[in-house]
Amino acid sequence: MTPSGLAARVRSALVDAGKAALVAFGLFILMVGLRTDVAPAGELFLRTRWAEVGMLCALVFGLRLATALWVRPRLSEGNTQRSAALLSQAGLMFGPALLAVALILPFVPGIGRYELDLGILVLTYIMLGWGLNIVVGLAGLLDLGYVAFYAVGAYSYALLAQFFGLSFWICLPLAGILAAFWGVLLGFPVLRLRGDYLAIVTLAFGEIIRIVLLNWVELTGGPNGISGIPRPTFFGLPFSMGGGPGSFAHFFGIEPSPSHRVIFLYYLILGLALLTNWVAVRIRRQPIGRAWEALREDEVACRALGIDITNTKLTAFALGAMFAGFAGAFFATRQAFISPESFTFIESAIILAIVVLGGLGSQVGIAVAAIVMIGGFELFRDLDEYRMLVFGGAMVAIMVLRPRGLVGSRAPSVVLGGRKRIDASLVGEGRG
Amino acid sequence: MSEAAIPSGSGAILDVDGISMRFGGLLAVDTVSFAVQRGSITALIGPNGAGKTTVFNCITGFYRPTSGRIALRRVDGSLAALERLKDHRIARAGVARTFQNIRLFAGMTALENLLVAQHLPLQRATGFGIGAMLGLSRYKAAEAEAIERAASWLRAINLLDRADDAAGELPYGAQRRLEIARAMCTGPALLCLDEPAAGLNPRESEELARLLTTIRDGTATSSAPTSVLLIEHDMGIVMRISDHVVVLDHGRKIAEGPPDLVRNDRHVIAAYLGEDEEA
Repeated sequence: MTPSGLAARVRSALVDAGKAALVAFGLFILMVGLRTDVAPAGELFLRTRWAEVGMLCALVFGLRLATALWVRPRLSEGNTQRSAALLSQAGLMFGPALLAVALILPFVPGIGRYELDLGILVLTYIMLGWGLNIVVGLAGLLDLGYVAFYAVGAYSYALLAQFFGLSFWICLPLAGILAAFWGVLLGFPVLRLRGDYLAIVTLAFGEIIRIVLLNWVELTGGPNGISGIPRPTFFGLPFSMGGGPGSFAHFFGIEPSPSHRVIFLYYLILGLALLTNWVAVRIRRQPIGRAWEALREDEVACRALGIDITNTKLTAFALGAMFAGFAGAFFATRQAFISPESFTFIESAIILAIVVLGGLGSQVGIAVAAIVMIGGFELFRDLDEYRMLVFGGAMVAIMVLRPRGLVGSRAPSVVLGGRKRIDASLVGEGRG
Repeated sequence: MSEAAIPSGSGAILDVDGISMRFGGLLAVDTVSFAVQRGSITALIGPNGAGKTTVFNCITGFYRPTSGRIALRRVDGSLAALERLKDHRIARAGVARTFQNIRLFAGMTALENLLVAQHLPLQRATGFGIGAMLGLSRYKAAEAEAIERAASWLRAINLLDRADDAAGELPYGAQRRLEIARAMCTGPALLCLDEPAAGLNPRESEELARLLTTIRDGTATSSAPTSVLLIEHDMGIVMRISDHVVVLDHGRKIAEGPPDLVRNDRHVIAAYLGEDEEA
């Protein structure tokens, strides 16, 4: 680089950093600089902290300057294309490696009950992410009330088991079907809505379900929830601690242990998550999956090609909701206790964040995002209230560095020659 | 109107009978009637704001005409009343269209774009999704056939080597051709094109003209001859390839007939050049 080019760059970086510092000054002068305190005599007085404001502004100036001089050039040096190719190459092996780790996890030495429980939690979110990905990532319908279907699945299992004594294995498909039914029910009124309006209505739908659960005390127990939900059995063999005849431990002639159930639950959710993945991957290569993606890209063109928008949207809602229903039934049997508190908006937000961070439409990306988000949440437990700060910071960082999620590019569903990834900038995000 | 210009041994595939379209106080289309003959290229021309695209949107179901009837004669001879059908039903009845501002699925490959167009036959072969999910052979055969058909169209529009590139990455002229191929992949009886030559250079326009005549004659691929209705501003193309020209101005039909006749029509010249009609 020529000296004059360098000087120009430094100058523009200095101007940029100066502007950032000015903005910071404008913000901090009121937030930090002026503070009302209570004087010993009891009256309020205004305390000024100009030194702190100066320090903060200097910090902003320094960081902004460093970003402009060192971080930004390295990002834009044309190696984004290469790194994307490298990432997709790694992604080919990364998926199977992740699966292998997931399969042997319960038998890895040092993996205890806590780690397995965390694994179950992460897998639940991976499954929910993959389910929501059908609606948001493929069909491009922004759904902020996804947790409603999770709740429908959980309550379906809890109530069916409580009132009719049905076993988990009968309730699981029923919970999925009921959730899918509610998905269609939500789908009908929102068919004509797009973008922000769709988001608002789905958000409201999620809250309606939660509030109904909270207030329909006779059926759902209201805020007290439902407790004593039957635990799952190993195809009829209960995991009882006594190890009596007919129990899992007795049947296989092994020592009864509480970890059996946890391991079973772990493999159960792993299986359910893999089922979700299998269906999502296969359906992408089918007419309906392609119609979903086409819908995300351009709804008007879809109509001109004779695609029934109504059915296409409803199947996306129904299928996405079905997997949430499965996950909900699993959640209910794992916890043995459910209440409306587990199905608040923040759950929807977390699942959506997983899908967006992972990259809309990418299976591996979503799995990684779920591991990082849910696992990271646990990892930073010691940070108490600063946990959310770390979390928010990480999210901002990812959105700045990879605005279309971890895996932003799209793999074609069918090819004639060689398989190429499609750059994220071309792929539509859907507007409802 | 001169009957001689219409290819012999055919009948009307599309019959537009006195359609009007009113947007509030504005009468965009005022009792326009014309017919598209089977196996012909019919051009709809007129100055800006003449109501061409509105007529087009009525035919393809994006608008519902305020009054009038539009009848499509299907391949089997039965009539479909387009003014009563919803847009995707119209596409299923056999009317395919392209858009003035290209509407491809930009993030999907050229091949995928053509497969989405074959959604209906493919969807029927899936057996409610279950058969295809399990990888049954019936769906595989249907998919192979659909890919073969898409490949033959890609060959016809000279894009076979770019089949796996995202549609949004293709050059502008290629996107125009791909949109026409996508419309043709629905297997239509009538192809409606909204300004297909807009923004093309002379060489690309030439290619387009050739493509349209091969589509009309059914020689582009193994598909059947297809009637074409197009809106176009490029008079060179219109006069060269159309069999029949309909001229609109201020929402009214002012002339129709074979290109030569229309070109010398007093009303048409007045509409385009702004001459006083009484002169």
